[in-house]
Amino acid sequence: MATTLRPVAAAALLAAASLALAAPASAQQDTRARVQQMVAQFQPLRFTPPTPRQVRLSNGVQVFLQEDHSLPLLNVNLVRKVGVVNLPDSLWAAGWQADGLMRTGGTTTLPPDSVDRLVEFYALGLGFQTGYEESSAYVSGLSRHRDVMLGLLFDMLRNPRNDSSRIRETIAQVEESWRRRNDQPASILNRAWNQVMYGDHPLAKTMSTPEEARTLTPDRLRTVDAMLFCPDRMIVGVTGDFDTRAMIAKLEESFRGWGRCPAGMRPTPPVRYPQGPRVVLIEKDVNQSNIQMGQAGGIRVANTPEYFAAQVADFLLGGGGGFNSRLLQRVRSDSGFAYGAYSNWGAETDREGIFAASAATRANKTVGAIALMQTVIASMVSEPVTASDVRLAQDNETNSFIFGFESPAQIVGRQIAYALDGLPANWFDLYLRGIQTVTPEQVRQVVERYLHSDRLITVVVGNPTAFDRPLSTLGPVTTMRVEDIRR
Amino acid sequence: MRCRRLTAALALALGTAPLAAQQPSAGERLPVVKYVLPNGMTFLLLRKEGAPTVSFVTQFRAGGVDEWTGISGTAHLFEHMLFKGTPTLGTRDYAAEQRMFPRIDTVADSLTAEFRKGASADTTVMARLRARLRALEDSARQYVVSNELDRVLTENGAQNLNASTSNDGTNYYFALPANRAELWFVLESDRVRNPVLREFYSERDVVMEERRLRVETQPMGLLREEFSEAAFRVHPYGRPVVGFASEVQTLSRNAVLEYFHKYYGPNNAVVAITGDIDTTQMKRWADQYFANIPAGEPYRPVVTQEPPQHGERRIEVEYDANPFVLIGYHVPNAVHADAPALRVLASILTGGRTSRLVQRLVVRDHWAAQVSAGQAPGARYPRLFMFGAAPIAPHTTQEIEGAIYEELERLQREPPTDFEMQRIRNSAEYGSLSRLDNAFYLAIQLASSEALWNDWTRTFRDDGAVQRVTAEDVQRVARTYFSRTNRTVATLVRPPRPAPLGGTN
Repeated sequence: MATTLRPVAAAALLAAASLALAAPASAQQDTRARVQQMVAQFQPLRFTPPTPRQVRLSNGVQVFLQEDHSLPLLNVNLVRKVGVVNLPDSLWAAGWQADGLMRTGGTTTLPPDSVDRLVEFYALGLGFQTGYEESSAYVSGLSRHRDVMLGLLFDMLRNPRNDSSRIRETIAQVEESWRRRNDQPASILNRAWNQVMYGDHPLAKTMSTPEEARTLTPDRLRTVDAMLFCPDRMIVGVTGDFDTRAMIAKLEESFRGWGRCPAGMRPTPPVRYPQGPRVVLIEKDVNQSNIQMGQAGGIRVANTPEYFAAQVADFLLGGGGGFNSRLLQRVRSDSGFAYGAYSNWGAETDREGIFAASAATRANKTVGAIALMQTVIASMVSEPVTASDVRLAQDNETNSFIFGFESPAQIVGRQIAYALDGLPANWFDLYLRGIQTVTPEQVRQVVERYLHSDRLITVVVGNPTAFDRPLSTLGPVTTMRVEDIRR
Repeated sequence: MRCRRLTAALALALGTAPLAAQQPSAGERLPVVKYVLPNGMTFLLLRKEGAPTVSFVTQFRAGGVDEWTGISGTAHLFEHMLFKGTPTLGTRDYAAEQRMFPRIDTVADSLTAEFRKGASADTTVMARLRARLRALEDSARQYVVSNELDRVLTENGAQNLNASTSNDGTNYYFALPANRAELWFVLESDRVRNPVLREFYSERDVVMEERRLRVETQPMGLLREEFSEAAFRVHPYGRPVVGFASEVQTLSRNAVLEYFHKYYGPNNAVVAITGDIDTTQMKRWADQYFANIPAGEPYRPVVTQEPPQHGERRIEVEYDANPFVLIGYHVPNAVHADAPALRVLASILTGGRTSRLVQRLVVRDHWAAQVSAGQAPGARYPRLFMFGAAPIAPHTTQEIEGAIYEELERLQREPPTDFEMQRIRNSAEYGSLSRLDNAFYLAIQLASSEALWNDWTRTFRDDGAVQRVTAEDVQRVARTYFSRTNRTVATLVRPPRPAPLGGTN
């Protein structure tokens, strides 16, 4: 109600009076009490998630299919768990640009312009993605264009031309991206962070340099295309308006004659994260500082109490817990220091990831905000999470699981992700169950063991002359020039 | 391979593609139930097959354009405040909180009074008042259960919990598991009836950080803001929705509450509920929870109209970043008869790699890293048809401008080709179906169309209208709107020498 505010008191009182007359007794109740009462009485949700059809093509390619005839639309995805990091160093840049050029460079029988015209005439969403450790291709469109969609996608996958006119276009684009790389503080932070955390590892690279781009040739690109996109351990997902049997036959036809993958891929080189504490400053004349701090995460994705406890810890510190996470509560709601303040405790199935927390704050609160973030991270040990905190994370998981099954694309996409990572098909159930068994003590232990607020690596992009106090009050500062960020 | 068959298929489609007749689009045929309460609050209910989830969107006809001088950013700050709770949610002792508000506001008012002195303001006094304001608000936190609304929703598995403010309106949304749908009615009816603007001044600081994040440290954000201000001299579309820094910093709890009382009546609200719902039950709950909220003032569209422009306007924005150019032409609002042809024109020029400007500037000549076109910064009132482009050095924004004007002149002289027109019809057909795929996105579209045009089908009718646009229509709008005098151009340029390091906190 607004009755405390003098200028509107009269109107507010009137509104209050009319409410009192008009509202039924129920509407006057205490909302908190009412919510508690209601939540206690909700019936459990009855829902059996649909299971996508799973088949293996004659060449061993695994396919997940789920029909959905509500709209005449079709989506096809192809994914492999190899990416540019798995290429020899000499082919890194070709791998990084391969996805764009597969889309724009034409095929051996279709010039680039013809591909563009087909894609746009049939209103197709069609593209490729060559990521660090994953490569994918997708096409979406009206289901009546099924044969055009698959014909074009497989032609582009199997017979890429990498036309030299489009290579020149790519080089021009890379050169301009390189010129623009320091225009935004967040881009500087991201690139500096990767360099600090990954050093010389290929995971440190975030963009091609112009010099690298100028080495692109159709031959190099074709070599890379063939290494990244080939049938061995490829996984296909199909959703939408199609007939499963006919689709399988169509996929068999599309893969026919496509041979084994060439040799030459390497496993991801081992990652070694640096030790903190360390403060790195990159000067940029802006009135808001971009901050990221973190360390090696120590945790792998696995069906272990430790992994689930780390997930709950991250939720409560600055991940999925939203406004009730400690970082957002303290840095934003209580202090007004930042619009966003988040954490992410990364983990992979085959190695540890990075724990990181980030925020952007006005220049004259920079050091105060960093100190506050360190305190909040430390509070996970000094003020351990309570049973009620853990219940919040658990209730959220239990009640929101249904949103993982809203669309066939989500359901199939998740099965593909599990298969790629070597997780069991019922990982979703295992995950839910794992989260439910987490105790506050386990959260405290995992945080105490792995999160060391006194050994964080902190990277700041901002204008030190406007900071509230010298950054050196946090520890020895290394200044990195923007020119020294290699990519 | 299949190249010949594909080429044949293209030729076939060009020759025989069916032109959509005047039949209603798939969106118009959605079984939406419209339910209006006596107080004017409108509910759009759509049952959609799928998982047991329900999406809720409330759109108020209250946006940036509805602010008055001196309070820019109020619509947006109020949007943040609607998450702060009510007299019975978010508090330990509401009476104690209420007693503190006038004391806190008095300090805030004194701070603003000092700020108003401009250059002669005493910075020591201001620092003292700021510290005092902060201390008082911190002391009030002993009575606050901060983010309790968020906690209830997080516990109950809510998704997509957020809100957004535009020039034309403000949206609040989240989705719940279907068995918990009644929670939305309890929480939404409480907060739109009884919002408490607690933690007000720290949230004002948060919004200032949002402004720095999106505008002040972003060359494109800054360029866009100054571009709108140059193009609209009178109409409030020229004001940034996030607000001007000086005004956001001095917004008072009273002004924001005044805005709420003026615009947040139930008659100004449209709610869209989509997903696994029983429409009869939704109507019952709508009655039970919202019918007793008294109607507010009827919505009155902005009276101000942007006068015709009498000459090209050009501005430069200096920033330590690479160049970019924005070009805008005044065009009518989104439901004007020419709007579909303008959409088609945008697609001919920049909709994909085969479009004229992308083909020329990006694919062929390598003059531009990107070029795009669209209409902004709103839909309800006459707006701008905008081009945006980033040159590739050594090419300049002037060269890009020249190419854009040449292509506009070419469209004025020669109609688009059959291929271009059919490509756009096909794309519109795909878009008319794919936009129906997601329950949450559907709720956003329904609420927005009804709030803007009092007609939820309106947005879907445009799909058909785009498909019926003729080459002559495109040529006509190209001649009508794209004149030099109707144009505003904003260019991002690097300052002659790097600006000295210095804060503007």
